[in-house]
Amino acid sequence: MSKIEFDRRDFLKVMGVSGVAATVAGCDMPSYITSEEGAEEVIPYLSPEEFVIPGVGVHYASTCLQCPATCGIRGRVREGRVLKLEGNPKSALNTGKLCQMGQAGLQTHYNPDRLTKPLVRKDGALAEATWEDALALIEEKTGPSSGLSGGRFAWLTGTISGHQSVLLKAHLESLGSSSHFVHEVINTRVWQAVCQDMLGQSMPRLRIDKAKMVLSFGADFLGTWMSPIHFSADYARFRSGEDRGMLVQAEPSMSLTGANADLWVALRPGTEGVMALGLANVLINKERMDASALPAAALELINQYGVSRTTKMTGIAGDRLIRIARHLKERSPSLVLAGASAAGHVGGYQSVQAAMLLNILLGNIDQTIEASGDFALPQLASVSGGTSDLSRFADAAGAGKLDAVFFDGSNPLFAAPNHLGLTEKFDSIPFKVAFSQFMDETTAHADVVLPMASALEDWGTHVAAYQGGDHEIAFQQPLMEPIYPGTRSFGDMLLALNSMRNPGSYDGLEDYYGYLQSAVGSIPGVLKGEDDEAINVSAWNRILQDGRLQMPVDTRAFTSNLSMDDMDVRDADPAFPYYLVPTPRGTLYDGRHANIPWLQESPDQISKVVWNSWAEIHPVTAAKLAVEEGDVITVTTPDGVLEVPVYIHKGIHVDVVAVPMGQGHEDYGRYARGRGVNPLKILQPGSDAKTGELALYGSRAALAATGRAGRLIKMGNTETQHGRKIVATITAEQQRRNEGDS
Amino acid sequence: MKVEAKTCHEQTHRPLFTWTRMWAVLVLAGLLGGLSLSGSSSAGELMAPPRVHTPPGAADSADEPLGPFPGVVAPEGTYEGKNVEQPIEFPHDLHADTNKINCLYCHTYARRSAVAGIPPTSKCMGCHNVIATDRPRIKKLTEYWEKGESPPWKKVHDLPDYVRFTHERHLKKFLFDNPDMSVERVDEVCALCHGNVKKMTVARKQKPLTMGFCTRCHEANDGPFDCQKCHK
Ligand code: SF4
Repeated sequence: MSKIEFDRRDFLKVMGVSGVAATVAGCDMPSYITSEEGAEEVIPYLSPEEFVIPGVGVHYASTCLQCPATCGIRGRVREGRVLKLEGNPKSALNTGKLCQMGQAGLQTHYNPDRLTKPLVRKDGALAEATWEDALALIEEKTGPSSGLSGGRFAWLTGTISGHQSVLLKAHLESLGSSSHFVHEVINTRVWQAVCQDMLGQSMPRLRIDKAKMVLSFGADFLGTWMSPIHFSADYARFRSGEDRGMLVQAEPSMSLTGANADLWVALRPGTEGVMALGLANVLINKERMDASALPAAALELINQYGVSRTTKMTGIAGDRLIRIARHLKERSPSLVLAGASAAGHVGGYQSVQAAMLLNILLGNIDQTIEASGDFALPQLASVSGGTSDLSRFADAAGAGKLDAVFFDGSNPLFAAPNHLGLTEKFDSIPFKVAFSQFMDETTAHADVVLPMASALEDWGTHVAAYQGGDHEIAFQQPLMEPIYPGTRSFGDMLLALNSMRNPGSYDGLEDYYGYLQSAVGSIPGVLKGEDDEAINVSAWNRILQDGRLQMPVDTRAFTSNLSMDDMDVRDADPAFPYYLVPTPRGTLYDGRHANIPWLQESPDQISKVVWNSWAEIHPVTAAKLAVEEGDVITVTTPDGVLEVPVYIHKGIHVDVVAVPMGQGHEDYGRYARGRGVNPLKILQPGSDAKTGELALYGSRAALAATGRAGRLIKMGNTETQHGRKIVATITAEQQRRNEGDS
Repeated sequence: MKVEAKTCHEQTHRPLFTWTRMWAVLVLAGLLGGLSLSGSSSAGELMAPPRVHTPPGAADSADEPLGPFPGVVAPEGTYEGKNVEQPIEFPHDLHADTNKINCLYCHTYARRSAVAGIPPTSKCMGCHNVIATDRPRIKKLTEYWEKGESPPWKKVHDLPDYVRFTHERHLKKFLFDNPDMSVERVDEVCALCHGNVKKMTVARKQKPLTMGFCTRCHEANDGPFDCQKCHK
């Protein structure tokens, strides 16, 4: 047998020569794949606008609809295709910034799983139909001759505002119904209710930028809470001022905001209000703060939450509580916020109320919490969603009170916990019409599916629930022609539905664009031209260029109605010793972005996991269960079981298991289907007594190891810097020893 | 004036007029309107000198190198492009050579954008509303126009998606920033990468347009060498 003599030096020589040869040849090797002559078509414009130059982008303003915050966007459009989205600098809300969900709006638009043709259920299955047939069926079931009227007809939508809201209400009125269920899993309804009750305004302006300290009870204002991009800009100012603002975040599992905090406090779920009252107690009794602004009943309640009781209930050390209280007093004005993890309990309202009480005690009202009044045109104002509407909807459907439901912008069958039994109740509604872009879980159960234009193909106006200073109407305009000719605009559909009920009511308007133009023209002083009748085209074009229309700000002051209810903290059930926390993330959000590959592949802000679900547990819990990262555990509540790999992290309360929302789709296209688990499904019944919002953070769970090992796919594989001092750190203990107790 | 008997349109290219000549002809045709003419009587044909059509792809003067213009070292390399069948057999020679229409008149975006652009159909029709309207290819073009469509031209010169080439930058260097060149000679700049299109009917790829071709030119003409300049 001959042996080829080949030493390393020869090997390198050969590789060197042939490597160079390959490089040279490679450089001159035409690519037959992408540059073959005649393989592609290049179709010129027929008659372009003068400003159109192929290869050079033109920017158009519109509005982001990836979450209810309605930030302004600018889309770069080239050769009739939108290529990139950026924030609109003219928007007072997001001042030119855009979050990753907003950026990924392109992949909702270009998604290969978009619905392109109407579908009608025949013999139990959805089958392709023409628009004429689908609309004829809708007319038969809900038109004037259907006999349908009153509360037997309902709309179920996500947060809705602007002229879509006006037309939707008109459609409901034409049927004599007032049943509009507005569903949103991630919402601020409890916060709004507390502000409304205590201050007389539901959405006061929050000046993080003016505060010297922010104490946030689970308000993930940099990630998913209220208007994250607006708050991120405020936060940057808060941190970069001469007196760098201090952020303390208290929550059961670490959010993006928590990860940015100076002090992160692991709080037992449901005790946010207790901590707030405990702080108030220290401020009044130890720090001698003036409490004359508070009513006697509130003072009495505060006095019941001394340091030791608070410590016992919340699990926070007494000296830490006292330190936080001292900072609050010294760093005035401060701002106390309460988010989803505070509100999502049976006593959620009281917890948020206690946080607001703390604001009043600290003198933050009119300092960092400013009156913002109501939107000048109430008919356009945001109808913000919540989860109480989901249970009301389930009740109505279960009681057979609904004959026909239209739904848009919401996926209740994915979000509804098992205990609501929504799928069966939903199926029992005789006629269900989905206005959808995708075959999601709810759309799959509809009787008629109408394929909608994407947000980047459609017209609309939107009014954010939280207005950042200036009050604005946000304009949504198409950034390109519809990709699929079989889809239709939601606004056009609303006009068609209204005309179906009241023939002739919108005659003379060609489409939703025409409606919008005349409706905006009817706002006093907005589009007035020289001749009062005509629409001032240049004013209209200016609005579209800006993407925003500024409205007068309501200068109404706060009223105050201070009441305080006692905390409602439920004891743990020994059979289910852990709290199950379904965490919202600024990627998949409530699950609506699970079909966007960019967001699936973007590493989670805390765990860095991609394309999957995980259960976050504390190292102590992991030791108890004898599991390592990636091992599969079961998370069991009385309402169901999840099997999910663990991620072990110190940024979580020892009694908590946190599973992010968003995965676990049974439908919703190729990227979402069959991936991970949906923690919302196994939540226990229970809702906030005051607002009816579901107690999303109040479920108890048992954990068990399955014995199956696995591996989490994640970016970066180590939690330490291996001594490289990429970010220099010292321990809190060292800091205290060297710099004093600050 | 000699009146040519009309022959088969498909076989014959007839040169168009320059603008001045066109008006002269239109006026003349008006004057001569009363005369009886044999065959078809469009103004174009009246003046058309016969020209033998070169079938696309046949060895023609397209391969003649255009001499390197001042301020450039022309990159070496040739490529035998295939004949690409276009929806309308567009004669570059007739437009750019015979009638001396500047390349940038139609490919107007080349000086403003990364892409040179195929001229919008409205630009074609700007002339062909009145010129040579009875020729089969112009009739075909007019058909597209009246349907509200552009002809689906086939791409002849293409680069892989990971290459960013910009016409604008190259024209700036070799033409607009080059004191020894004038915009009338833009065809010589185009020819560096496209060959002598003036002598072709439909365009054929004549240069390899490979990375080697690009880098040789960049080396000889002090072009940038950072990877990210072209691979952004
Ligand atoms: S927060 Fe993000 S997703 Fe929501 S509207 Fe703004 S940019 Fe869009």
